[in-house]
This record gives sequence, C-alpha cells and structure tokens, in this order.
Amino acid sequence: MGKSAAPLKIVNRLHVFRAEHHLTQERLAKEIGVTRATIVAIEKGDYNPSLGLAFRIARYFNTDINAIFTVEEENK
Amino acid sequence: MKRLDVIILRIFLCGLPVLAGIAVFNHFSGVRALYNMSGFLFAIWMILSVYLGIRLVVSGDFRDRVLVRLTFIRERDEREVLLTGKATKTALMTSMAVLILLFCLSCFQVSFFKLPADKAIDGKTRGFSLGLNFSLFNDQGKKISEEVSDRYNVFSYNGLPLSSSTVILLLIAWQIISYNCVMKRLTR
Repeated sequence: MGKSAAPLKIVNRLHVFRAEHHLTQERLAKEIGVTRATIVAIEKGDYNPSLGLAFRIARYFNTDINAIFTVEEENK
Repeated sequence: MKRLDVIILRIFLCGLPVLAGIAVFNHFSGVRALYNMSGFLFAIWMILSVYLGIRLVVSGDFRDRVLVRLTFIRERDEREVLLTGKATKTALMTSMAVLILLFCLSCFQVSFFKLPADKAIDGKTRGFSLGLNFSLFNDQGKKISEEVSDRYNVFSYNGLPLSSSTVILLLIAWQIISYNCVMKRLTR
C-alpha cells in the first residue's frame, strides 16, 4: 500500500493554460459553465474542483488532467 | 411549480399593497360599501396566504423556488453549492444556539419580592424565588404567576416578554441574515 495519510496539496497550472490560450477568466468560466469567482478561487488554490469539473477543464484544453492538476505533499 | 401556484403567489404579493391602499382610503373616506368590500378582499387574501403556507410545507419544488428567492440563495456552480452547504450549516447551528437560549429564557422565572410584616419568614420580609415554567399552552403560564398574590414583587421575570409572533419573525430574520453574512464571508 502507499504512504501514510500525509496532507496533500493540489496545485494547478490553470492560469498558465489560460494564458497560453489567450483566455480571460470570464471567458473560460463561460466555456466550462462555472462562475468567474470559481475560476479565481481555483487559480488561487482556494478551491479544489470536483473530479467532474477537473476533467471538464482538461477536456476543454484538450490535455490530460495531470498536466493541469498535480499533487504535492504539504510541508509540515 | 404549478401554474395555479404562480398565479396565487402573484395575487398574494400584489394584494398586500392593494389592501394597504384600500385600508388607508377607507380610513379617510368612511364609505360603508368600500369597507365591506375590503373586508371580503382581506378574507380572500388570508385564505390565499394559508394556502401558500401549506404549499410551502408540502411541495418541495414550490418551496425551493420561492424560498431560494426569499433567502437570496445562489447555486450557479459546484463551488457555490459547496459554500451554500457550509453557510446553511452555520446558519442552522447558530439558529439552534439561539433557540436553546430562547427556550431557557422562556422557562426561567426569577422574582425578588417583599412580604407583609405579618407573613415574614424567619423574621425576614425580603426574599427571592427561582422557578422553571414549561407549558404547552400560554394560559398555563399565567395561572402559575397569579398563584402568588400577597407579596410585593420588586423585580419579577416570568419568561420572555416577546409574543410568539415576534419570536417567530425574529427567527426567520435571523436565519436569512446569518446565512447571508456567512455566505458573504465565504465568498470574500
């Protein structure tokens, strides 16, 4: 089995993908069907999206979910 | 939501200012026919309000549509659904705390009193009494306080001085305000 249940931090590169595709937060929010506040919260790391929304974002950018969202072990 | 419910809800909401207007007009004009008609309209409005109250209790769909507007709940995406859940939990918990406090305040009875000289207890004419009062109906509480008559109360607290309508209205306001305050803090 894996490691003990150490706290994990989900980091994302959403702002990078958004910049590469020349998208505003408002536009991306409209495209994937959420509010702009949610995009802001995800980019700031204040909110971790559900699996469904994470896959929807990945599919929108035509990439793998791991390219946008990665897991890091949180420093104690 | 049924079409009939929508129509009744609109009549109910529009009826309130209309009734208020008629009442004010009646007060100044004093026309008897108009007075009778306004009573009839008020009776209809009361029946509609009872119908809508019952619909709110029994119909989940109607309740969701009406109360979501009344409480300013917004669930446009999954994050707002999550935040609504957190805010609702906080609102429920604070409401429970307020209800417990109100229950205690409504049950406790405290009184500081003076007795006539001939009824002194161990030579003392001053004292205080503590009590608990719980009754299903309002009349019971009044009877208990009326039992002690030959003493002069310096200070007497016999439960909440607020009426049940006021307490219910305050609780409704508390629910809406606490939910919206928490929601505002979470979305900041």
